[in-house]
Amino acid sequence: MIKPIYIHGSGCISIQPTFEAGYFFDALTSYAQNPVPALDPDYKAFIPALQLRRMNKSMRMALFASRLAMQEAGITAVDAVITGSGLGCLRDSERFVEHLRAEEGSSLNPTPFIQSTHNMAAAALALSLGCKGYNMTYVNNANSFESALLDSLIYLAEHPTETVLLGGVDELGERTPQFWDIAGYLKHEGAEIPTPLDDRTPGEIAAEGAIFFIASQQQSYQTLGKVLAVETRLEVDNPPAFIAEFLQRNGVSTDALDAVMLGCNGDARYDGIYRTLGDTLFADLPQVAFKHALGEYDTVVAAALFLVLGIFQHQHIPQTLLLNEVSSRTLQRILIYTQRRGQNHSVILVEK
Amino acid sequence: MIPTAPIAITGMGAISAIGNHVTENFRSLVASKHGIGPITQLDTYHRGRLLVGEIPIGNAELYDRLHLSPEVACTRSTLLALLAAKEAMEAAAFQPGDGYRTGLISATTVGGMDATEQYYDDYLISEKHQPFIQTHPCGYAAEQMGRYLGISDFVTTISTACSSAANAIMLGARMIRAGLLDRVLVGGTDCLSRFTINGFNSLMIYTDSHCRPFDENRNGLNLGEAAAYLVLEAAEVAKRRGKSPIAYLTGYGNANDAFHQTASSDNGEGAYLAMRKALETARLNPTDIDYVNAHGTATPNNDLAEGNALLRIYGSASALPAFSSTKAFTGHTLAAAGAIEAVFSLLALQHQVVFPNLNFSQPIASLGIIPQTELREKKIAHVLSNSFGFGGNCSTLLFSKDHD
Repeated sequence: MIKPIYIHGSGCISIQPTFEAGYFFDALTSYAQNPVPALDPDYKAFIPALQLRRMNKSMRMALFASRLAMQEAGITAVDAVITGSGLGCLRDSERFVEHLRAEEGSSLNPTPFIQSTHNMAAAALALSLGCKGYNMTYVNNANSFESALLDSLIYLAEHPTETVLLGGVDELGERTPQFWDIAGYLKHEGAEIPTPLDDRTPGEIAAEGAIFFIASQQQSYQTLGKVLAVETRLEVDNPPAFIAEFLQRNGVSTDALDAVMLGCNGDARYDGIYRTLGDTLFADLPQVAFKHALGEYDTVVAAALFLVLGIFQHQHIPQTLLLNEVSSRTLQRILIYTQRRGQNHSVILVEK
Repeated sequence: MIPTAPIAITGMGAISAIGNHVTENFRSLVASKHGIGPITQLDTYHRGRLLVGEIPIGNAELYDRLHLSPEVACTRSTLLALLAAKEAMEAAAFQPGDGYRTGLISATTVGGMDATEQYYDDYLISEKHQPFIQTHPCGYAAEQMGRYLGISDFVTTISTACSSAANAIMLGARMIRAGLLDRVLVGGTDCLSRFTINGFNSLMIYTDSHCRPFDENRNGLNLGEAAAYLVLEAAEVAKRRGKSPIAYLTGYGNANDAFHQTASSDNGEGAYLAMRKALETARLNPTDIDYVNAHGTATPNNDLAEGNALLRIYGSASALPAFSSTKAFTGHTLAAAGAIEAVFSLLALQHQVVFPNLNFSQPIASLGIIPQTELREKKIAHVLSNSFGFGGNCSTLLFSKDHD
């Protein structure tokens, strides 16, 4: 009952200049820090200054990336807004916690509270587009974007003539990365972008970004590619079997894939999963990484989809992202597989 | 298009300020016994000042009731969720891993904020509470629930402010209809927190006394805490395993008001659209609805917008079916509201009663609509339940005694 959905436009804000026309990962911006904040585009190009001043980073990144996607798709309105965000508007959440801890009982400024709610990016999109249709926000850690993508597949099967604005957004906080560091999530030694993927040091590079897409069931001259299926699993005992079964359910053999995107992020504790896959199931395929260039955050998998669409368009895999020497044949069908900290596994099947 | 296969509800569970399980909640509703009172659990400036719908059980006792090791970091929203979810699963009488694809869709807005706000400085200097760092993200509760309850085929979390649980219930039904799941545990949970109490208080929509939904002199809400879950099943799966449904989820609608970050439009556009869509998916007319469980937070803005939306659906005050807000019983339980009120809607269908809207005395002058103020026995075939939130997120669910 679920049918493929076509993507007609995409927009990406990240720690690389992905929002610049013509940029396609031929060179990577380097960083030697952790966390790494996203590069700021000229937000005023799409957002009036007065509104911009009131928007937190999630809202402005989401709005800008979605305008890029709409521009590329050549549309000015959508019927539904479906987003994912692992942590929502983190900085405003921190701000309100800090205010209430310092001054509970006095009159607190409500703005950070209002803008802390996880649905605020989707709400800002609905408000700015005047979109009164279906509006949804998924907050399921590293599977937040995948849930939004799955909902988009279902929604467009229910409403085959409509158009969806779909995306993922996550911002860094100020105090929260300190908590992540205490919890052992962050990389110290070798904390750089591009992150060395030699599996030697633990930890990830925390980053942020927003990636949005325009999707519908109609193919057009503007179509960048189509998403056939997505699946998530909180815990997977045997990733190769999980992926093989997914491919089988979708009638695709590994031979029929042209490349695979893998979510390795340089965290020695969990990258072994990708290494095993690279040596077995995907040994004969070009293997492409993205988190070493874009950092790690809950919705970064949306950037993998952005990249796949770019690979289809350019018919070329940037050398900066290639993990092996296998040359790319024609680039028509790519699988994305990621997990984070050993859980929240997901697979997404994309075709040109 | 996706076929509209009937969605059976085969189990429900609830914990709120008016009861630790479904039956206790029902007893309080029929006895007009509300659960709003002073703060006794949460350590906040507002203790002794603001009134809340608190569940009078401490976290340590919740751990005991769930047989959880004190070593496991669980915040209060997760503890409440586990109690309600267990009740729902027991009522539905199924074991995960019985061959049916079973999912979990949970809703929360607070997540682990109650730990973060408490240990915000402490995390930096002491190891004692650091295991709670991982509980902050909203997605963490559902992951813990999935592991505890043994549900692994699909797990996700929704956060659309105060409409969150209604959206979780709606997604569950849509996934079954799309053929992706056979059965799904859906609902929401939110505990009280300093974050939310101070948030609503800073917006000056927190009443200084007991909330008065749909009253001319209403002056804000009481917050509450709750968790509630339903088991949805493809009707044919329920039939195959000989389980007779409590009722059916026949309609749902989700729309956005696209008007303001927090305020609803005066004409209740989003609410109107959500109700219309719910009626359309159920292929019912407004006149088929026997009871509306309103969102009715008792803020000046919500009740005006919702009342106007109801008038737009029905044409006139006299045409409105029986309606009430149960927020004066439980307080506004945020992401759990859509789920606890789904349970109340199902209880209304099961027992053929309309629950009273407490603390009402004078209708809103510009609307002239009067909620049900006394318990009323009535033939009820269809109940509409509204949930609206910040960000213009509006959702409506429609529950029916039978399908088609």
